[in-house]
Amino acid sequence: MRFAPRAALLAAWLVCLGLLYLLITHTLVVGTDLRSFMPAPTTPDQKLLMDQVGEGPGSRLLLVAIDGMPEAQLASLSHGLAASLRKQPAYPQVVNGDFDLAALDGQFLFYRYLLSPTLDTTAMDAPFLADQLQQRLDDMASPAASMLKSLLPRDPTLELLKLAERWTPAKSPEVKDGVWFSSKGEALLLVQTQAAGFDPEAQEAAINGIRSAFAALPGSHGAHLLLSGPGYFSVVVNAQTRHEADVIGRISTIGFILLLLVAYRSVTSLLFGALPVATGGLAGIAVMALCFREVHGITLAFGFTLLGVAQEYPIRLLSHRRAGETALASVRGLWPLLMTAIASACIAYLAFYASGVGGLQQLAVFTITGLLAAGLATRYLLPHLLPERARDVATTPGLARLRTFFDELPRPRWLPVPIALAAAAMLYFAPGSFWENNLAALTPLPTDMLMTDARLRGELGAPDVRYLLVLQARDADGVLALSERVEPDIDRLLAGKALDSVELPSRYLPSAATQKARQAKLPDTAALEAMLATALKDTPFKKDLFAPFISDVAAARSAPVLTPERFASSPLGQRLSAMLVNRGDHWVGLATLSGVHDADAFASLSAKTGGAVRLLDLKEASESLVAEYRTRILKALAVATLLLIATIAFALRSFRRAWHVLAPMTLATFMVLAVERVAGIPLSLFHLVSLILAGGLGLHYALFFERDTGDPDEQRRTLHATIVCVLSALLVFGMLAWSSIPVLRAIGLTVSLGVAFHFCISILMAPHASKE
Amino acid sequence: MTMLLMLAWTTSSPAAPAPDANALIASLGRPAPARTSFAEARFSSVLDKPLVSSGELAWLGQDQLERRVDTPHKETAAIAGDKVTQTREGKSPRSFSLSRAPQLKVLLDSFVALLGGDASRLGEAFTVQLDRHGEHWSLALTPTDAKVAKQISRIVVDGQGTEPRCMRMEEGDGDTAIDLLGPLAAKMPSEPTREVLVALCTGAAP
Repeated sequence: MRFAPRAALLAAWLVCLGLLYLLITHTLVVGTDLRSFMPAPTTPDQKLLMDQVGEGPGSRLLLVAIDGMPEAQLASLSHGLAASLRKQPAYPQVVNGDFDLAALDGQFLFYRYLLSPTLDTTAMDAPFLADQLQQRLDDMASPAASMLKSLLPRDPTLELLKLAERWTPAKSPEVKDGVWFSSKGEALLLVQTQAAGFDPEAQEAAINGIRSAFAALPGSHGAHLLLSGPGYFSVVVNAQTRHEADVIGRISTIGFILLLLVAYRSVTSLLFGALPVATGGLAGIAVMALCFREVHGITLAFGFTLLGVAQEYPIRLLSHRRAGETALASVRGLWPLLMTAIASACIAYLAFYASGVGGLQQLAVFTITGLLAAGLATRYLLPHLLPERARDVATTPGLARLRTFFDELPRPRWLPVPIALAAAAMLYFAPGSFWENNLAALTPLPTDMLMTDARLRGELGAPDVRYLLVLQARDADGVLALSERVEPDIDRLLAGKALDSVELPSRYLPSAATQKARQAKLPDTAALEAMLATALKDTPFKKDLFAPFISDVAAARSAPVLTPERFASSPLGQRLSAMLVNRGDHWVGLATLSGVHDADAFASLSAKTGGAVRLLDLKEASESLVAEYRTRILKALAVATLLLIATIAFALRSFRRAWHVLAPMTLATFMVLAVERVAGIPLSLFHLVSLILAGGLGLHYALFFERDTGDPDEQRRTLHATIVCVLSALLVFGMLAWSSIPVLRAIGLTVSLGVAFHFCISILMAPHASKE
Repeated sequence: MTMLLMLAWTTSSPAAPAPDANALIASLGRPAPARTSFAEARFSSVLDKPLVSSGELAWLGQDQLERRVDTPHKETAAIAGDKVTQTREGKSPRSFSLSRAPQLKVLLDSFVALLGGDASRLGEAFTVQLDRHGEHWSLALTPTDAKVAKQISRIVVDGQGTEPRCMRMEEGDGDTAIDLLGPLAAKMPSEPTREVLVALCTGAAP
């Protein structure tokens, strides 16, 4: 091809890429919710878990500690921070120990007679009022006088204080200067975010909001703000993962470019060689953006990793060019084999689609589209751009000697037997558990961060992240009624030290029936005025002092009962709303627990309520979820393996040749498993995913080694291409293996080991033309 | 006593009261535990007539104060650190944070500083002004913290020689509590007025 048409083709290709890029920037929505990368839940508990991971009251809680200053200043910073955050809707609940009566919104103040249990045990009659007024008189002569004086006209029975007591957490830190302090002298706060706990981006915004509110406080300079909690962790993990992936990506890209320059000694080849992968990447993202409403950030990161296989296509083309042969002729010779490789890899990646996990399905769409686009571009576009003449890599110094070295290695036919036996033995004797079921083990949090979290959680009496008490009923009011009904049972569990404390929904709002019963006990205005007049007779209180009380009782008597929806407009109602979840045909109440010592003690409660009240062990639910997820992936892999065998056998039209391709792949895969297990690494989903990638790469090596033509130059080209591929894979994934992030490390280590084993075993098991 | 005196003399800060007030405050110091009987009349906007109670005030050392009411109903309020515990006959004890009762905090501050003869502590929390009429004197304590001052506008301690006789606490909303201390407690009239009590305190009445 002459220069002009080539330039035109290049320009057209680049324009297409530009258009794809534009399409992507206009349609792609990147999501960060980690849950789309978790398995799809099947049991009700698992479904609840997935909703709770991120959105439950526990996971939206941030623990805040302020230190580095004298106590009095810390206390005023705590007051200031709480006041500032309470003004922002992003933080529905901020508690720091200063219980202010304003927590019960002014508009709901008269509801106190329906919310407080006082009327359950007593009637609002003359003797009760007289006793209450006498007590208030004593209060007036006590040091509490100035505190109670302002409440008196409206609330002579002090219902607000009873409610305040009811709503104050059972176990709370020491209060100094009106705010919570830890035993280490830090001022403590609990902040609930509107943002879901496992949405790192939204959490980051919430955390930055807290930091800037803190920085804006006068006198905050020099004080230290410490944060903890699930939301904070998700932000840290996200930032850490992104940072490491960036650094590793940058280093391995430079290494990759250097490697290709050394291998082909041509800048043009290098630049054009990058085009198919770029095409694959952009096409993959574009299709994904069109197919899915939102694309997960992790899909993009993993997708580009997996797409690394596609770099093999141009490498094969570049390495297999003979002197004097046009690129088009080279690619025609290679195409049947490349097509087999592309089809097989696509089939393997289909297993991701069958996993039923949103994020992995996106990954499958991305990689399959990307591989096909990169493969087709290598076949139909790239050859027209490459220079007419190319250096034959078969002449690379040292290559011939290396090939001879490999040829002269002993390659006994019985080799698979000891390898298989060794792998089996290693797997059998490997220490530790085979599978990693703990999702938390994949989150790389520094130990000191976890210890700080445990310490603050203990001091604040903040709820366990592991357990939740689930109360299930037909509607929200049913949940409240159920919660009231089990209160005595829960009290017994508390008394028996089965747990330290619990926060039931009915603590904040009684059921409609209870409210109605209390309402019925309220006297009408005339009766109340008469009783009050009697009670006031012998006291020094001013006669008309209690007019606000009379009008509040009248309001409480005639008002519609307070529902969770209406209550939700106040801070306490918000807290209740977070505990009540509508799940389609039913509602569940989620009571947070702290200090669960005896999870089995809840069994009788569960039996008594017919399962309507039960303890949800989030750890157990997540582990069962992971195990189920793995079963699905393994099944999908089994299907993929069968399809792969069929594809290879069909493509090579011989089971014997298929054996030469598939046996090394299988053995190498088991060797990777065996080595990782012997090293004591329990296998996670990420290892499985990486094994598939390594398998895809290994397939290429085996296919190309198997296709030995008997032409020594072609053998050398095959070796050259394979070595470039192996080195580039080792470069990229070997770097990942050093990462401090368990997920990245799992991928890096598995793929690096895989590439090494696949290369060694397939070269040793390849039939050799010269010997046959 | 001498120790306390010396302490009071040596620890003077810029905010410290005038030397005359210092000397007086130092002379008021008592070793803990120090007890005194009291009779209190409370004049409040929520009441038609003043509320009278009596009992004993005790300083148990450091920030521990106990206020026992004998009439009209038995009740004990104990302050220890940040916590106030109120015990009433026939009722379970009730406790609350001192920060929720600023009046009590001020009382504690002034009382402990006076009984400790600690002029510098007093100077930290209050602007101190001394007024003498012969044997009689009045120490007016105005809280330095504006937030506290909104609740408690000032405390006046009246005395004679080295004996405090009265504490008058004036609240921000106009309510007043007047405590007659020591021997004067027995002189609480059955239907007191502010004027009569102030006269008693300042020695204008016998």
